[in-house]
Amino acid sequence: MFARRFLISFPIFAIVYLIQESVVSQFKILGGGFSLFLIFTLLWSALGTPELGALTGFGAGLLMDLSQTTSGPMGQWTLIMILAGFAISYLGYGDDNFRGNPISLVVIVAIAVPITRFAYLIIGLMFGGDLGSTFQIFISLFSSALWTVAVVPLLMPFVTRIHSTLFEEKSRG
Amino acid sequence: MRNGGGNRSRLLLISLIVTSLFLITLDLRGVQVIDGLRSGTQTAVSPFQSLGAKVFRPVGNFFSDVTRLGRTRGEIEQLKAENEKLRQDLINRKNADAELSELKSVLDLAGTARYKVVSAKVISLGSTSSFTQTISIDAGTDDGVKENMTVITGLGLVGVVKKSYANSALVQLASDSAFRVGTRVAGSQQIGILSGQGTSKGVLQLLDNQTTLKVGDVILARGSQDDRPFVPGVPIGEVTSVDNAAGAVTQTADVKLFVNFSTLSVVAVVVGSPKSDPRDALVPKGPIPIPVPTVTVYATPSGSPKP
Repeated sequence: MFARRFLISFPIFAIVYLIQESVVSQFKILGGGFSLFLIFTLLWSALGTPELGALTGFGAGLLMDLSQTTSGPMGQWTLIMILAGFAISYLGYGDDNFRGNPISLVVIVAIAVPITRFAYLIIGLMFGGDLGSTFQIFISLFSSALWTVAVVPLLMPFVTRIHSTLFEEKSRG
Repeated sequence: MRNGGGNRSRLLLISLIVTSLFLITLDLRGVQVIDGLRSGTQTAVSPFQSLGAKVFRPVGNFFSDVTRLGRTRGEIEQLKAENEKLRQDLINRKNADAELSELKSVLDLAGTARYKVVSAKVISLGSTSSFTQTISIDAGTDDGVKENMTVITGLGLVGVVKKSYANSALVQLASDSAFRVGTRVAGSQQIGILSGQGTSKGVLQLLDNQTTLKVGDVILARGSQDDRPFVPGVPIGEVTSVDNAAGAVTQTADVKLFVNFSTLSVVAVVVGSPKSDPRDALVPKGPIPIPVPTVTVYATPSGSPKP
């Protein structure tokens, strides 16, 4: 039952991935812009159980690894996203005050996005990647957090509605 | 687990982590299936990217005007819609003119050096989640674009083709922090290596410390064996500052790259080059000094005043 619901969410992720790759990537946005797919995944994970968070991270990480703009080896984003998905869902698991509060969700996702990207950078360095300008990285991480604060409130109504339709109402029935 | 996640969750987490590590190992060992997966995904996504580029590029410049629509009525509405359409056409025309101008300049550059090029439109501006600086173009192996080919614009070096798919290709920009290119200084022919920094500037490291470098020197690509990844003679940038630290083993300098990577729309991939090196033929010409007119005043003494 759980696996079936998880699989149902796959087309949603595929659509968001397609939007990220074909629409969001068309715009050169201030400070390097934002990754809609990363924000969506972390927000989705924050609403679920740690088990679901890890599985969501796994699926989303695989898709991010398949992107041609990914510089690291296949599996690098998968690894990071499993841990990120698990961690963000673990933080709020069982605490309805946390999940019911939109501000908490905005803050936690805005913190999680730069941390996830930073973790990707560090793991990339371990695999022999290049660091580049430290200042540029700082600007990029900082602006991604700010963009996340702007984007999450717009995404939240859709994400929470779809998530509750898939995982909460059905489980009651 | 904090709230009764239990062994099942731990087992799942460990299984997923092991799977991802397995994938990384497979990729680092160069297993073909992984590359096939990425190529397959890109082949599936590239039509959407082309469509997205066609639809959203003009719209991106048009947001402020679109918000005015929807509040008009009757004839005014019709006139406004007509006006809007004309403006849209104008924007599209301006867009096409800009692309044409870029294409013309890149063909001029390619013509001067007698490069054989394949022109391509930029369909995606790279990743916003990782730290790489890349673009996707709408030409691929079907058009003769292969990996490790030089990509240029009318201003100079854009980057190098890292991956080539059937109808698209991924280009690593010269501004990418992992980008390295062998260079020479126009005129003095000193050689060095330029590294991308993730910004519009690169760092040049000369291989010989006995020679001197000065602000304004133009840096060109030195060229690679069999012209891949770099054909010789392509302009890269201009020296903006020189680090003359005493006792340094090699001399370094900051180089402002000629190409503006945030406004790329049309590029050309060099698929063939002449046997002869164009040397300094592609060095951009400096501004022509405008002559300042001088005025000469002749003073003529007037006649002596009458008493």
